[in-house]
Amino acid sequence: MSAAGSRPQRLKAAVHFTTGRICQKMGEDHRKEFSRQTVAAIAETAFRQCDIFAKDLEAFARHAKRSMVSAEDVKLVARRSNALSVYIQNKSEELAQEQKKKNAAKKKSKDAEESRE
Amino acid sequence: MADKDEEICFRKETISKLLTSFFKEDKTKLSSEAALLMAEMLKIFVQEAAIRSQKQAESEDCDKVDIEHFEKILPQLLLDF
Repeated sequence: MSAAGSRPQRLKAAVHFTTGRICQKMGEDHRKEFSRQTVAAIAETAFRQCDIFAKDLEAFARHAKRSMVSAEDVKLVARRSNALSVYIQNKSEELAQEQKKKNAAKKKSKDAEESRE
Repeated sequence: MADKDEEICFRKETISKLLTSFFKEDKTKLSSEAALLMAEMLKIFVQEAAIRSQKQAESEDCDKVDIEHFEKILPQLLLDF
């Protein structure tokens, strides 16, 4: 078993990695680089924010008497900013559309299979 | 010449593991759709943090974004989320 660090450490590292990539791209796009310390601070803050998000999501699901956190709970978490709310709503609809297409495609191939028998 | 289609994002699996690790109860689960949406949320959070820090650095005539720029925008960022 590889001693790649504890679970939370690996998750933190994963967040840090993607944060770094986002900051690097933004640094290139706007020609203003981020210091390593800043990237680390942003990553740490994002990691901690997930704790807050998770607790809220869990509370919303529980309030709706569900044990599975759903898209509706995420929409609630995004309620504070109007722009964010709209963005998440649109993303959610986008995902629903994609899922519909996938289901339709699955059904099509299933029907085709059954008709061959 | 930036490849616009290749948008940097958080992996659904990472977000899923991360959020579930913070749940208080074992029975609480995260739907696939919720995980994807939360990955978007986190990406936006990081982007906002980054871009506001950049703007702060710009307003102070600095050519590099340093930690004090991030510290200055942090309170409002947290309030906005």
